[in-house]
Amino acid sequence: MLSRTSFYFLLSIFLLVLFFVSCRPSSENRPPGYLVAAIESYPLQLDPRYATDANSVRIGNLIYNSLLRADENSELRPELVESWRVVDDLTYVLDLRKGITFHDGRPLTATDVKFTYESILQADSRSPKRGLLEPLQAIEQIASYQLKFRLTAPHAPFVEQLTLGIVPSGSPPAHDVTHRPPAGSGPFILAGMESGEKVTLKANPNYWDGKPQLAGLIFRSVPDAMVRVLEFKKGSVDFMQNDLEPDVLPWLARNTDADIGSYDGTTYQYIGINLSHPILRNVKVRQALACAVDRDRIIRHVLKGTVTKANGLLAPINWAYDDTVQRWPYDPTRAKRLLDEAGFADPDGDGPLPRFRLSFKTTNIDLRRRIAEALKEQLHHVGIELDVRSYEWATFFSDVKKGNFHLYSLAWVGVMDPDILYQIFHSLSVPPRGDNRGRYMNREVDRLLDQGRKTTDRAKRKLVYAQAQQILAEDLPYVPLWWWKNVIVKRPSIEGFVPYPDGELISLQKVSWR
Amino acid sequence: MKRYFIHRLLLLLPTLLGALTLVFLLVHLIPGDPVDVMLGETASAADKEELRRSLGFDRPLAEQYRSFFAGLAFGNLGRSLYEQQSVAMIIGARLPATLQLALCAMLVAVLTSFLLATLAAKKRGGWIDRSALLFSLLGLSLPNFWLGPLLMILFSIQLGWLPVSGRGGVTHLVLPSFTLGLGMAAILTRILRAGLLQAAREDYVQTARAKGLSEKQVWLKHVLRNALLSVATVMSLQFGSLLTGSLITETIFSWPGLGRLTIQAIQTRDYPLVQGCVLVIATSYVLINFVTDILYKLIDPRITYAR
Repeated sequence: MLSRTSFYFLLSIFLLVLFFVSCRPSSENRPPGYLVAAIESYPLQLDPRYATDANSVRIGNLIYNSLLRADENSELRPELVESWRVVDDLTYVLDLRKGITFHDGRPLTATDVKFTYESILQADSRSPKRGLLEPLQAIEQIASYQLKFRLTAPHAPFVEQLTLGIVPSGSPPAHDVTHRPPAGSGPFILAGMESGEKVTLKANPNYWDGKPQLAGLIFRSVPDAMVRVLEFKKGSVDFMQNDLEPDVLPWLARNTDADIGSYDGTTYQYIGINLSHPILRNVKVRQALACAVDRDRIIRHVLKGTVTKANGLLAPINWAYDDTVQRWPYDPTRAKRLLDEAGFADPDGDGPLPRFRLSFKTTNIDLRRRIAEALKEQLHHVGIELDVRSYEWATFFSDVKKGNFHLYSLAWVGVMDPDILYQIFHSLSVPPRGDNRGRYMNREVDRLLDQGRKTTDRAKRKLVYAQAQQILAEDLPYVPLWWWKNVIVKRPSIEGFVPYPDGELISLQKVSWR
Repeated sequence: MKRYFIHRLLLLLPTLLGALTLVFLLVHLIPGDPVDVMLGETASAADKEELRRSLGFDRPLAEQYRSFFAGLAFGNLGRSLYEQQSVAMIIGARLPATLQLALCAMLVAVLTSFLLATLAAKKRGGWIDRSALLFSLLGLSLPNFWLGPLLMILFSIQLGWLPVSGRGGVTHLVLPSFTLGLGMAAILTRILRAGLLQAAREDYVQTARAKGLSEKQVWLKHVLRNALLSVATVMSLQFGSLLTGSLITETIFSWPGLGRLTIQAIQTRDYPLVQGCVLVIATSYVLINFVTDILYKLIDPRITYAR
């Protein structure tokens, strides 16, 4: 039996060993030439076939090349593809660039492209991208560097699926025990992942489009927005994009050397409406809601100008954006009149009794709750009593998908092709088939969205989507709120960064230190 | 005593079984579908159904329960639905960070509280005693989400002595350890001070003095030792809560520990990961209670464990 002293001694030794074993080199010691970017959440899945969270997609795009890539104006440009042509409405033929290699030295050929798409289409792939490839009938490898994509039916938005990152042939699926993020062919090589902490990328010296100027990138997960700001102030972080409280930007400008810029984005915030609700199915009520919301005031006082007032889902940068749609400026008198016309007169004039009560669901993020309280106050002025309910994300989202809401607020991120309107407003897109959570039904909109999908000529598609946007702006299945701007905070010595409307970080490949 | 410990070890099984059953039911009953999280917005209903089937979520709850425990019996905690890695591997990657922070915070709490409480009890009513009580009051009143950033601003930004957040060398440990440890030190100081004052009044202390022992020997061997029993339980509970991860401190200091992992798993409805985290948390609590029982015996040999 151990004596008491020996027990304490051994315990102390054990604890000391444990302590020192678990200490590691300081994360402050960054390799020379590296840029440190702070991100809110750790990327969970870098394999482009499975990546869905924004940070996984954005970091993944620095590691993996795709056939096409959206540029800073959201226009698709060739990346791995040297040239491509549309043979007919169903067939695309692509010629790949030659001489491109994966980070492990293997050449990137049509075999890898075919494998990447087919591995997603496998019945047991468990890839979230599988649904997006539904229109794809077959991929045919014509030669080592030439492919043919054949669709089951004309589907204009399919080209957007050519932005998928390409992985080497034979890469195991994510649910395989041997799965690791596969090698890419992009400007940066994955050098390390420390769970919950950081992802390190190093420059690809053999990158076909020129070696990146930076020696590497470190994406540090710093969940608290205020701490990200303090890290920047301290000098341990060089770059931040979005996810900052609007209130801290003036502080950053005053107290650091930060180069702060805000740029138009495509992330669209809206109020979703349940159209199966007996009150909300009345279009005049929805129009009254739109007139009762003073977005300018919220933008000025709560959001400090970090957003742009929206009039629909498609942002002005989108090629299909229609500027002539009906707008609903703040007009409480008109809102009251519309409610009266809808048959919901105020029972006691300006007295305390409301015309009707509705619930408003939102997440428990502080900024979202503050916005909800501002909306409640504004609707109160026209006689609508709002019961604000905030939930943790999964519960909130589950309720929204089930249609268990009156009103809610959410955002659409990464909107590129106008076909997203099909997913959101077509009567066939009611969950679980799509995201028409408000159960909006309009035959004319359905017809236009079907037509927009099948039309491959962009000018004709633009006309079709313009009509759809005009109807949606009158019908208001969503009350448009704003498009979020991309707020970039960086060291002034960082040169060459180009902001992308969807928050992509791909221009980091051209960034350099002054 | 041996029988008692064997009995306690055997109790470990039903305790863990109970905790896991409870969490299994809870995660399956709360709203939110992990398949939605995995496949995202664009997946078709057929794909979602297919995935639900391949993960076994379409089977009756009782069957899922049986298969989870069957896997567990062979040491298989399953694979994370979101990260697609083994749950044991994910938890294993985060556990050292949690252990490291827990040990350091405990060290801060024990050293601070023992020093303050002993000085306060020896000089009862003096300025040290009043300062210790004020420290206790402040420590209990200041929430970590306020104290953490305050320490960051002072020691990292103004003085520039320490890093702001993240995990790395010893310097990274200082601020989160103090943020966590000071709150615990406040509780321990109060309890230990009261225990010391009570023990100091006991007859055996007077006897020890009458026998001619020095004041240092009296305090170390008789007063402090007898007062320790009162704090041992609190310390073990606090250490247990530290091992399960401190969500707020881990979030503020970007500390990649078990607390953040558990919350992330709950938010994404990653059932296997939630169950794995709960298994570790429940095991930690049971083992700490077990160790505390051993410590009772070491502190006070009069304690016996007869059945």
